[in-house]
Amino acid sequence: MNYPAWEVPIIGGGWVIGIIAIIHVLISHFAIGGGFYLPLAERKALREGREDWLEVLRGHSKFFLILTAVFGAMTGVGIWFAIGLAHPEATSTLIRNFVFAWAIEWTFFIMEITAAAVYYYTWGRVSNRLHLAIGWVYAATAWMSLFVINGILTFMLTPGPSWLGVAGSGNEASMFWQAFFNPTMWPSLLLRTLICFSLAGLWAFVTASRIDSYARPELKTEVMRWSALWLIPSFVLLPVGFLWYLWNVPASQLDLLRLGISTIGQGTFTQVTRMALVTIMTSATIAVIVYLLAWRNPGDFGFGHAVALLLLALAATASTEYSREMLRKPYVIGHHMYSSGVRTLEVDRINREGYLVKTIWARPEERRLWDAANPARSGEAAGAAHLARGELMFRGQCMSCHTVDGYRAMRTLMKGRDHESIGGFLKSLRDYPEDLIYRAYMPPLVGRPEEIGALQDYLDVMLNRDTAAHAVAQSIP
Amino acid sequence: MSTSSLPAHDNMASTRPKDYLYAWLDDRIGLDAILALAREKVVPEHRYSFWYYWGGLSLFFFVVQVVSGILLLLYYRPGPEAYDSVRIITYEIEFGWLIRSAHSWSANLMVFCVFVHMFSVFFMKAYRPPREFGWWTGLALLGMTMVFGFSGYLLPMDELAYFATKIGLEIPKTMPGMAPIIENLVQGGPEVTGITIARFFALHVVVLPLVFIGVLTVHLALVVFHGNAVPPSEAEKPASERHTIPFFPNFFMKDLAMWLIALNVLALLASVYPWQLGPPADPLAAAPVGIHPEWYFMSQFQALKVFGRILPGAAGEFAGIGMFSIGGLLWALIPLYDRDSKLARRARIATWFGLLAVIGLIGLTVMGYWEVYGAAGH
Repeated sequence: MNYPAWEVPIIGGGWVIGIIAIIHVLISHFAIGGGFYLPLAERKALREGREDWLEVLRGHSKFFLILTAVFGAMTGVGIWFAIGLAHPEATSTLIRNFVFAWAIEWTFFIMEITAAAVYYYTWGRVSNRLHLAIGWVYAATAWMSLFVINGILTFMLTPGPSWLGVAGSGNEASMFWQAFFNPTMWPSLLLRTLICFSLAGLWAFVTASRIDSYARPELKTEVMRWSALWLIPSFVLLPVGFLWYLWNVPASQLDLLRLGISTIGQGTFTQVTRMALVTIMTSATIAVIVYLLAWRNPGDFGFGHAVALLLLALAATASTEYSREMLRKPYVIGHHMYSSGVRTLEVDRINREGYLVKTIWARPEERRLWDAANPARSGEAAGAAHLARGELMFRGQCMSCHTVDGYRAMRTLMKGRDHESIGGFLKSLRDYPEDLIYRAYMPPLVGRPEEIGALQDYLDVMLNRDTAAHAVAQSIP
Repeated sequence: MSTSSLPAHDNMASTRPKDYLYAWLDDRIGLDAILALAREKVVPEHRYSFWYYWGGLSLFFFVVQVVSGILLLLYYRPGPEAYDSVRIITYEIEFGWLIRSAHSWSANLMVFCVFVHMFSVFFMKAYRPPREFGWWTGLALLGMTMVFGFSGYLLPMDELAYFATKIGLEIPKTMPGMAPIIENLVQGGPEVTGITIARFFALHVVVLPLVFIGVLTVHLALVVFHGNAVPPSEAEKPASERHTIPFFPNFFMKDLAMWLIALNVLALLASVYPWQLGPPADPLAAAPVGIHPEWYFMSQFQALKVFGRILPGAAGEFAGIGMFSIGGLLWALIPLYDRDSKLARRARIATWFGLLAVIGLIGLTVMGYWEVYGAAGH
């Protein structure tokens, strides 16, 4: 609770993670799928004695190495850097539970990038058999890094009853394997593996599209069609994998999806449903374009088409990752930690003792002015301290998801609310009744009534600058 | 073609439903002849081919406009009830928000595509003889597209629509003799009221579509008649180095793919950023801070502001309108000036003129938004 709050104007910290993560997924999943594509294509070329294929693959492996080892690695590190800033409490929990998993993942990752470099630099310098073996070493280590990371990521949605049973006891690490092999781990691994194969095909179009249609029409047709085949497993098995995944998601987490589906006609509370529909639409478009152009007219398939397909894949990835993240709401670690960084087990204690009781972000003289029994508590300084208290509440409990003017803007979402209406809204979030519609995606507001009051006044000043001064003055006895 | 009432095509003997359907249609509408013509028509294939798709994309968004517009018509009520009907469409009618968002976003995307199409035609010199009428009909379509945008923007009659329209109409009123025309013909009175909405509505859903479809038909017929122009750098190449692909099925498939991508872009925008409805217009209230027209009128709006600073009063606005009018006239007359690649100097001047127009439009638009949002600190 005493981590510094990371203020990112306009887009918010969440989208910093999001932007890096979306690019990372698009590249890292290609790094895994492409790891299978290269040795399988090389094996085919060697068996059929196709020197022209080997020439194309050599070019593709260069592109592959630069893209995955540079941009994939940079964005991978970037995600953890950003998540550490945006959700320090959650990151701390993950590190404490999965430090060895991360060590294993890093081992696989180092093997992976080493094998990728060796694979590229040994074209024509070692025997075909050994070169192919290096390709398979790459594929296996790349997939293993996904295997490990997938366990950690899915833990955040479904930590599982065993881990939740010891959460907060200090013995969480004793349930490492149960947490790792959590309910959504296997279906998610299947989904991600399928996506890896699709992206291997889509990224291969970048190289294949540059083969001269007039000089080498047969080669282009063959490479394009062989690459197009890599999309088939996904489009056949993804729906099955997706249903398997949803089957393992707790009913409470599906509430937001259900709410979105039930209200899609009116368009309210439908963000996650609309994004899920974008995933379906972009994926279907990719399938149709690959069939119409890459399969039916490979000679006409140009570099621009490859880029367009990748942009569609980017949209599909973005909407899928967004929907997956939204499914976790109102938690950042399912049923253990709310998206505000407050642990579920701590709610009652914080409501009793106060949210800012141990904060280090207020000066002692400021804290003294919060005390209602302080005889010196009046005037301008007290008003400023009161609003600073509200701001600390805002930074601690609102800002991990909201910005003032940009993404999920408070000014827009709370527009039209006066002092009383803001108070009513905050009260409903603190009481958090079972039938509260916001429960599907918002965490409870925690703290003592005077802290909630300070937040109310702070929001009132933010929203109604002209009329709020009177209300603030009234709050200070 | 057979005159018998029964299908006489060879494929009728086939038992496959697809063959039967094809034969049935061929006997009635001459499908074979149409497809033969489509296969015979070729499209040049070169490094600038990407720019050929923008006309088709503009057409695609126009089709979306027509379909979504018809659906909106089922519930929209012009006049004093305009705002309430749009509120019902947006928040109460099932999927009304989606249709309205698709209509608004596709309008913006259509304007964008038409602009890109126009500039790509300009820089590929596709206005040169014998394609002058293609250029002029295209400009007419661009003008009508912008009037579509302007007239449609007022129809929800929310605060933003009201004041943006009011400010938009103030601009031509500064021209000598224009104020009474605008007030009597366009506004239907001295102020923007329910009568103005009724007039804009009639213009938006009856007059403009009728004229637009007529001009569009001529424009498309001219494209079919003359074929796609190739840029001068391609035209100079020997015939052996120039490539073409059949319109059907090759280019058609690529066009279809582009349309699908465009549909995705539209769906993405409509889903992620559904079009909102502001508070109802209050003619007695002050205009919201930083009110400005839609992005495609921003450059003109900003030019008037810039000229207004240099030449205070009506002279500034008059100079701004004059500059855009003369610029537009020269733009329209460019096919008569830059007629042939042999006239190298004229070709160069035309290209520089085009670059100046692009830089001017983008620069003024960016400056306009900067003054509204950036410098003002909103």
